[in-house]
Amino acid sequence: MYLFMDPQQLTPEQQKEMEEKLKNMSPEELMEFQKQQCIFCQIISGKIPAKKIYEDDKVLAILDINPAAKGHILLLPKEHYAIMPQIPEKEVGEMFIVAKKMSKLLLKAIKVSGTNIFIANGLVAGQKAQHFMIHIIPRKEDDGILEVEEKLTDQEMRTKVKSLIENKFNELMGVKKEVLQVESSDEEVKEVEELEEPEEIKETKKPAKKVKKKAVKKKGKRENKEKVEEEKPEKESDDKDDDDDDDGGNASLDDIANLFK
Amino acid sequence: MKCEHCDIVERKSKADILYEDDEVVVAIKDLAMTPGQITVFPKEHFTILEVVPEEILEKCSLIANKIGIAVFESLGSQGTNIIIQNGLGAGQKVPHFAIEVVPRVENDGLGLQWDAKQLAEDEMATVFMTLEQGMKELDSSAEAEKTKGKDETGKDKKNSKEDDKNNYLLKSLKKIP
Repeated sequence: MYLFMDPQQLTPEQQKEMEEKLKNMSPEELMEFQKQQCIFCQIISGKIPAKKIYEDDKVLAILDINPAAKGHILLLPKEHYAIMPQIPEKEVGEMFIVAKKMSKLLLKAIKVSGTNIFIANGLVAGQKAQHFMIHIIPRKEDDGILEVEEKLTDQEMRTKVKSLIENKFNELMGVKKEVLQVESSDEEVKEVEELEEPEEIKETKKPAKKVKKKAVKKKGKRENKEKVEEEKPEKESDDKDDDDDDDGGNASLDDIANLFK
Repeated sequence: MKCEHCDIVERKSKADILYEDDEVVVAIKDLAMTPGQITVFPKEHFTILEVVPEEILEKCSLIANKIGIAVFESLGSQGTNIIIQNGLGAGQKVPHFAIEVVPRVENDGLGLQWDAKQLAEDEMATVFMTLEQGMKELDSSAEAEKTKGKDETGKDKKNSKEDDKNNYLLKSLKKIP
């Protein structure tokens, strides 16, 4: 793994100065600064040599110099993005298609019994460089790479996860489906679904249901006003949304984790 | 053949379906690495990444990305892992291609790591040569297919046929009880 920048190489004064500098930067300046410091951007621009496996106008695939296994490929967008949510949709799709190609290459050229396509978004997810990348890792059984245990989750937890994610996801997908979470002790979740058929047909076909649905909707809105108001057209800053979550009394992932058996 | 993901599509499973259209399904399965893990997979039964058509893969990846964003914003996670386990040796348990979106928080105790190896210069060079050569072969076989298969359907059929024949991974997956 390439490291972004080794802070240990700086003297304490230099570190302090650096921290101060970073604090006063605008997001745009910070982005620019990260790009200048980014080893992968320097590999892409050719300033640092690398073993290039594949290249087109959007992406570059290179061999990792400290691989998990022989043939470990890093697929990089040529543009500097830190995490996946920052990447334009079209490029995400294109990257996965190239990842498929790289996986096929590993399966055919090296004798392996599988590949992992692995992305880490954020430090806690194990991201080590500031440049987004897709790892394509050749695998053999019992090689100890990406070991993880799967556990059984309970229905209550799954329902909770579903209700927490559904609104945001549907908003991102542009799906007309509203899930209203009514706060009650037994955590009952009411769903209001907008059917895909046109409004008129729906009314003639199911007049009774329609009325009932409206009632449910209203009730939900009253009881969980914040939740409904929270649905804003596009992406706000992450901090803002986190605050909203707290205000709405939604469970954090820690809460969910406690339910985990 | 029994397939856990096809069972989800047919509502024969305990998993919750978060989203579904003609091509892609998003589900919350009962077996998970961490609570909040979400699985994105094509509705049609494709075993491994190599046999998933590009447009379906593209769609799955875009939806996985959106799930990732929704997880960041709605579950308060501090990070996400997007993982494809491709083949038995890579930890694939269901013989139906899927992208897993795993929400992460600090000290969640998930492994999902590896020991970075320090390869000698000549080892790196050997691997690089092998892959370079493999890449040329991939390109030339893709080129050959392009010139041979003139109509779209004929080409597709040919592709899948070839994959079936050559891919021992596929065969081993089919042995899963």
